Amino acid sequence: MKKLFSSVWPLLLVASWLVPCQLHASDADYLQGLKALETNDYSTALHYLELAVAGDPDNLRYGSDYRQAIIRSKEFDRALKFFEQMLVQHSKSANLHLNYGFAYVDKIPVTGSITQVILANDALTEFAKSLELQPSWIAYYTRGTSYLFWPKIFKRAALGVADLQRAMEIQQSGRRHSYHVKAYIALGDGYWKTDDLDKARAVWAEGLKEFPASIALKQRLSLKGDELKNLIEAQFDPGTRVNTDLRDLWAD
Amino acid sequence: MGGLRAIKTCFTLAAFCASTSIWAAESLQTAIRFEEIGAKAGIRVQHHTRRFHGKNADVLRMFTSGGSAVAVGDYDNDGYEDIFVTDSDTGKANHLFHNNGDLTFTDVATVAGVAGGNDPHSVVSDALWFDYDNDGKLDLLLGRFGTPILYHNEGNGKFKDVTASAGLTKFANTIGVIALDFDNDGRLDLLFANYFRPVNLLDLKDPHVLPNDLDNASNGGGVTLWRNTDKGTFEDVTEKAGLGKVNGWALDVGHGDFNNDGLQDIYIACDYGTDHLFMNNGNGTFREVTDKSTGWDTKKGMNVDVADYDNDGWLDIYITNITDEYMKECNMLWHNSGDGTFTDVAKETATCNTGWGWAAKFGDFDNDGWLDLFVVNGLRSAGPESYVPLLLPVLTTPGLDITDVNNWPDIAGRTWSGYQKKHLFHNLANGSFKEIAADSGVDNELDGRGIGIGDFDNDGRLDIVQTNADQPLLFYHNVTAKSGNWIELKLIGTGKSNRDAIGARIRLVAGGLTQIREIDGGNGYSSQSTRRAHFGLGHAAKIDHLEIRWPSGRTESVSVPLNRVAYIEEGRGVIKR
Repeated sequence: MKKLFSSVWPLLLVASWLVPCQLHASDADYLQGLKALETNDYSTALHYLELAVAGDPDNLRYGSDYRQAIIRSKEFDRALKFFEQMLVQHSKSANLHLNYGFAYVDKIPVTGSITQVILANDALTEFAKSLELQPSWIAYYTRGTSYLFWPKIFKRAALGVADLQRAMEIQQSGRRHSYHVKAYIALGDGYWKTDDLDKARAVWAEGLKEFPASIALKQRLSLKGDELKNLIEAQFDPGTRVNTDLRDLWAD
Repeated sequence: MGGLRAIKTCFTLAAFCASTSIWAAESLQTAIRFEEIGAKAGIRVQHHTRRFHGKNADVLRMFTSGGSAVAVGDYDNDGYEDIFVTDSDTGKANHLFHNNGDLTFTDVATVAGVAGGNDPHSVVSDALWFDYDNDGKLDLLLGRFGTPILYHNEGNGKFKDVTASAGLTKFANTIGVIALDFDNDGRLDLLFANYFRPVNLLDLKDPHVLPNDLDNASNGGGVTLWRNTDKGTFEDVTEKAGLGKVNGWALDVGHGDFNNDGLQDIYIACDYGTDHLFMNNGNGTFREVTDKSTGWDTKKGMNVDVADYDNDGWLDIYITNITDEYMKECNMLWHNSGDGTFTDVAKETATCNTGWGWAAKFGDFDNDGWLDLFVVNGLRSAGPESYVPLLLPVLTTPGLDITDVNNWPDIAGRTWSGYQKKHLFHNLANGSFKEIAADSGVDNELDGRGIGIGDFDNDGRLDIVQTNADQPLLFYHNVTAKSGNWIELKLIGTGKSNRDAIGARIRLVAGGLTQIREIDGGNGYSSQSTRRAHFGLGHAAKIDHLEIRWPSGRTESVSVPLNRVAYIEEGRGVIKR
């Protein structure tokens, strides 16, 4: 009894955060999915999380947590198929496009080098659609960062810088969030990738003023030459899994 | 990882571990040096890739930009290694460089009757010396996009085309050929790596000939296993042997006894996808063990070389792949765990990134008892504009049929992974390597393809021939000072062994090290190195033990003099040449 209670307790906390007033059907499915995930019951978890997304397609969190479950279960094609089908009926959902794009990104590390290019391009397409529907901070940040993963030879870093500048404008005009530090890091990386080290360092320094505890910013500002190059390029290694968990967005 | 392996090796060799460490440290002080003497030696010939005609000419030329091969062998048994070099464009002659014994060579291809092969319907792609009829004279096989050519060595400096009577008349787009005695019947068989499926690219009826998936293609030419019948003929036993299901774009094949059971196993490197490892069942068939041994890869397998780089008594496998700014595959150095599994230690050994890889060959270039590794690379070095951005629409346009040559843009004067520096990895005797190409004088930027290693002046130091696509050949003479002691063994099989002794295993104990070599039948992309077994001995002044396991299964211990080339005949020991 005690064990059951302790496992349910965190879910109740989540539920209270989600919907203070009433529990929707999607929320119930979401909670069932998370509960199944606790025991690595992926079949049940994915079933309920898909129901949750289907019931609330524009819910960024449902989609994000569904993808994290997919990463654990390694059923990447299932997610791609699911989001594709969802978009047939909900083509105007910006966050559904965003999660669909991330589902492509999630598959990249487990594929061959050419397939990685194709998946990265498909992801960009979905990020662009999301932006067209809803030009949000997360959409600009996501597409901008995505451009930075492309090798220099494809000349997409400048597009990334443009998107990240827009993300920066958005965050500087509104309430401050802890995740805003990511835009400083990425925009600086974008300047570095476009061979403008001075601007890169200026952005990282500006970010450090606002987020003085940021290790990533401190590292960048402390390194030079090949050490800096190695640090940044390691971030964009296609063989390394990108953290596409969006929980930072609702952390504060 | 490398450190752990070194420790394990040290425990294995516990009796002499301490002396090995001191000796290895001393050996590192030897600087490997090469001088490029191709022009002076008279072998700096230019290669020409095949020019195609019509609308798809440029794309097909790009996809077939191999064919610059080298095969090392002493075809006239005069004690000096000769060199066969292929060309590929229509009407262009191959070269048979007879070694004059003074580091100069004379091209005798036309006189010998082996210059041809690049006819309007066929492209010469690879070459292989092997004695298919055990008459003591090396015969010559040319792999082609077309039907192969088998030349019988007549023994008077001339060769006779016996392809038709040998039954080697099956069309294939063959790009790699090796010889091995897979059924241990004393006769050398042939394994072909076929790139495209068997369509004549020079008379293209259907443009859908390119890979159907660039990471997992299943529409390649696979492999062909030809069994030598001992009647001067070969029969296709691919299906019967269990190799018929390989449908990838086989770019290279290699062989070796990977599980120390006396049978020759094979590794198939496929471009655009999965490599395959087959173990020999000993009854004329193979079983695929890829799933359990290495796992399935999606990389662009370009080369197979086989050697025991860490002197643990098990043959390891080195595969080049493609690593560049836009594609980061990493090579694979399959360390043989000795239990049927292999672990990729390319990253740990610092042999991971060699650009757009082609041939790679192990050789002990400073005679310190540890095998070094030379790797060539580079696809196409041309104008300042890169071809790579043009590929993006091909890859990402939804529904575009990438098998159709018409859907690929012309490369024209563009560069694609060109101007890449070659790599020479010095074995540090601790499970890792150090890149020393620049210091050694071999960091050229030509578009390398094949590597032929041999001791062309019989001085005990291994020299290197590097062939290049659409560029001149390079000949690196090894001038390493203070290199260690050495022996070179030319094995001659008798009885139930093939005369070339391909598959023979030599185990040497000297200076606190145990080394093994296996005589191979042309491992390495577009390459056949010397058939002599070369051992570096470092400062060791004597050989404690030298044992040969012949392909027949007979095991013999022999004594050979240091710093000499020794001829050893099965059952007779050292003989006069």
